[in-house]
Amino acid sequence: MGDDMNTRGQLRHVILAVAAAALFASPVVAAKKKEEERQSSPVSPSAPDPWPSTYRPLPRADMLITGATILDGAGGRHDAADVLVRDGRVVAVGRNLDAGGAAVVDGRGKWVTPGIIDVHSHNGTFVVPLTSVDEHGSDVTEISDPNAAETWIEHAVNAQDVAFDRALAGGVTTLQILPGSTTIIGGRSVVLKNVPAITMQGMKFPGAPQGLKIACGENPKLYYGGRGSSPNSRQGELAMFRAAFSAAQDYLERSRGEKPGRGGGHGGPRGPRNLELETLGGVLTGDIRVQAHCYRADDMAVMLGLAREYNFHIAAFHHATEAYKIPGMLREAGTCAAVWSDWWGFKVEAQDAIRENAAFVEAAGGCAMMHSDSPQVGQRLTIEAAKAAGAGRRAGVSLPPETIIRWVTSNPAKAMGLDDRIGTLAPGYNADLVLWSGDPFSIYSHADRVYIDGALVYDRANPAYRPRSDFEIGRTEAAPR
Amino acid sequence: MKQMLAALAMLAALPAQAETVAIVNARAWTMTAETPIENATIVARDGRIVSIAGAGAVPAGARVIDAAGRVVTPGLVNAATQLGLTEVSGARETNDQSVASGALGAAFDVQYALNANSTLVAQARADGVTEAMVFPGGSASAPFQGRGALVHLQPDGDILDRAQAALFVRVGSGTSDKTGGSRAAQWQLVRNALDEARAPQGIDPRERLLGRLDRASLTPVLDRRIPLVIAAERESDIRQAIALADDYGIRIVILGGAEAWRAKTDLAAKRIPVILDPMLNLPLSYDQIGARLDNAALLSNAGVRIAFTVPGFGIHLSYNAGSALREGAGIAAANGLPYAAALRAITRSGAEIWGADDRQGSIAPGKAADLVIWDDDPLEPQSGPAIVLIGGREAPDTSRQAALRDRYRPGAETPLPPAYR
Repeated sequence: MGDDMNTRGQLRHVILAVAAAALFASPVVAAKKKEEERQSSPVSPSAPDPWPSTYRPLPRADMLITGATILDGAGGRHDAADVLVRDGRVVAVGRNLDAGGAAVVDGRGKWVTPGIIDVHSHNGTFVVPLTSVDEHGSDVTEISDPNAAETWIEHAVNAQDVAFDRALAGGVTTLQILPGSTTIIGGRSVVLKNVPAITMQGMKFPGAPQGLKIACGENPKLYYGGRGSSPNSRQGELAMFRAAFSAAQDYLERSRGEKPGRGGGHGGPRGPRNLELETLGGVLTGDIRVQAHCYRADDMAVMLGLAREYNFHIAAFHHATEAYKIPGMLREAGTCAAVWSDWWGFKVEAQDAIRENAAFVEAAGGCAMMHSDSPQVGQRLTIEAAKAAGAGRRAGVSLPPETIIRWVTSNPAKAMGLDDRIGTLAPGYNADLVLWSGDPFSIYSHADRVYIDGALVYDRANPAYRPRSDFEIGRTEAAPR
Repeated sequence: MKQMLAALAMLAALPAQAETVAIVNARAWTMTAETPIENATIVARDGRIVSIAGAGAVPAGARVIDAAGRVVTPGLVNAATQLGLTEVSGARETNDQSVASGALGAAFDVQYALNANSTLVAQARADGVTEAMVFPGGSASAPFQGRGALVHLQPDGDILDRAQAALFVRVGSGTSDKTGGSRAAQWQLVRNALDEARAPQGIDPRERLLGRLDRASLTPVLDRRIPLVIAAERESDIRQAIALADDYGIRIVILGGAEAWRAKTDLAAKRIPVILDPMLNLPLSYDQIGARLDNAALLSNAGVRIAFTVPGFGIHLSYNAGSALREGAGIAAANGLPYAAALRAITRSGAEIWGADDRQGSIAPGKAADLVIWDDDPLEPQSGPAIVLIGGREAPDTSRQAALRDRYRPGAETPLPPAYR
């Protein structure tokens, strides 16, 4: 939806709730940096981030969850097993662990997974209720120019969006907020921890790499072409991409030898800062990970060529409704496919979407993920995975729960460059985890408790731990307490 | 010649319909009881159900389908979709669900646009939908949307089951700009239209707001032959709809009803059914501030008849008219609605609301042999239909998705490009 709520006209359709309306780089091996360095500007490590994270874990205690079915996110399943958390980190996963003074949580009959990761969210920018204000100026994307590389989506995130709370009740602990797909270059993404906060910075994942949203295919050409401007064709989009990345190459060339502190303090060439080229330069240096909205197989193949021409890596194709046609190509490029389970047909380039998409990508040894793009889908990413796995099974590709959980945990963590910290339950990882009432792929299961960095952030059984945004209070009772 | 061919086609179809089919060893949710019949035998002849009984006998000569203990339900009934009216929603010329200009308001009638060959229809059928209400998206005269048609998704031929089966009105913030900017005007226009249709002679023709066609389309509403469907979300509008039913003695159905739970007692007392979105727990608009996942449970437990529609931001409404309906029912079941009631909301309730209960929505003698054998619990996301029977015959999966899946499934590679597969 977000993708296809990208243009104002489509947004309007959503507002009317009548008709139709959807939208990542991983230098293959990113050097791991120290936590304090991660707080610095992603493009120029020497320059501080003007909007640094102010996130602090909520109050927490060491704990041992016992006797649960644990899907570790790395492909393992541990039956009747324990997970020990200390100081906000996973210490051990196994049987008969010693609590050593930690509070014991009875996990018998329940399941434990890593916190769910939504690699493609518009929460905080596609804020419900949608109004005529959004119709005339949506925060999903700055669309005044088809290249919005200078924009940072974090400057728009409204932390009071109720969609964050709803996603939390669905076990989502980390989200990547992406700009929309109206522009060919949508701007920088931000990775948030799904903790209730007053400001975006209070949610900002410390040290997470930024992404750059780019889009190919119908959306940009329809929007700009429909207004008599460019691009109005796929080839026009590619020409614009090449011009932009050529300028970025030149920018990096001219920056060479300049000490950090020149050009406004960011290590760019002499003269006024160029925010657009700082972003694109960050892509070319591998600091910013590319998240690309594309549907068709031929579009994805062309974008992989663009990435080869300018020597950058595409972390993931989003929507990628035809990934199943080219799973080998994606695997070889090291590019993930972030897909819906069942959205199809609503636009010309989405006509060949099939529900077996993720399963076929997985079967070919590729990296599949489920994404939301919608505040509704974003509450039920495990159900998305279940639907996709069910379709795969009927088509002869049977995948166990310990595999499909990766679609919403370690795989998105990898696409976001956070696979050393989240998405997996193993010693040293952040203790982002969900205690499910049952099999997380069953429609009848609920996230009973959600923990971020070892702190309880949601408890289905305890109203005191069911956060409500400022938006929801003081109105005629809407939600049960 | 054309008639002769048609006659031949009829003859060709008859032998198949004349056969007797027995589904054995079924866990049959008949929707006439709160629990399933175990080890059920369902016998169908000439496309209709003859009998259903636990461990029932198989008639001599019957073709036997072994359900192997799996769940069998009636075909799904989607209570509100735009199947058959849309192909690619992003390509406007492939859409027929709405008119924005022209002469037609309440009289706009979608029956003439139904496309049985739509890829969405094939998908819905493969997903177990056998009957659906296809409703108009908007007319040239808001708040009226026009008249909806019941469709029966038989695999060959016409899908129209009953035209002009309901008249639709949409009130609230979503369409208020089309009526001058206030929903008050919408209600005044609805009331005036009913007044004009009831007693046109009392109004000077020069002062009438409705044309001949629109006026005539309201007569069956006033005669209680068809319901007036009020698409509304906010409590105040739902209460206006209840008042309208009282003042005009007409049958009302609420479509949407995000805040219907706030009026559950009155809705139950007035026997006004609600067709709701069981996935809605976000205030997508200010009309839906009270949206919550237990809306279905609260209404059902209060005695309100409920059926489901799943808009899914315009995606699920028509593209996943079967699969999203099941997911929605599962979500309702996970949020307090009893399992049997959740199944009922995607089968029998829709048939009852739209007056198709004599043939659709339950497994009982005389009903159409439109049945789905599920590979597991139909409300679970990993489940799917194993066999869809329409009129007692297996409906082949003719969906594009199945064709694409089979062309690209792992191991399907051939020396020639996929286009040769």
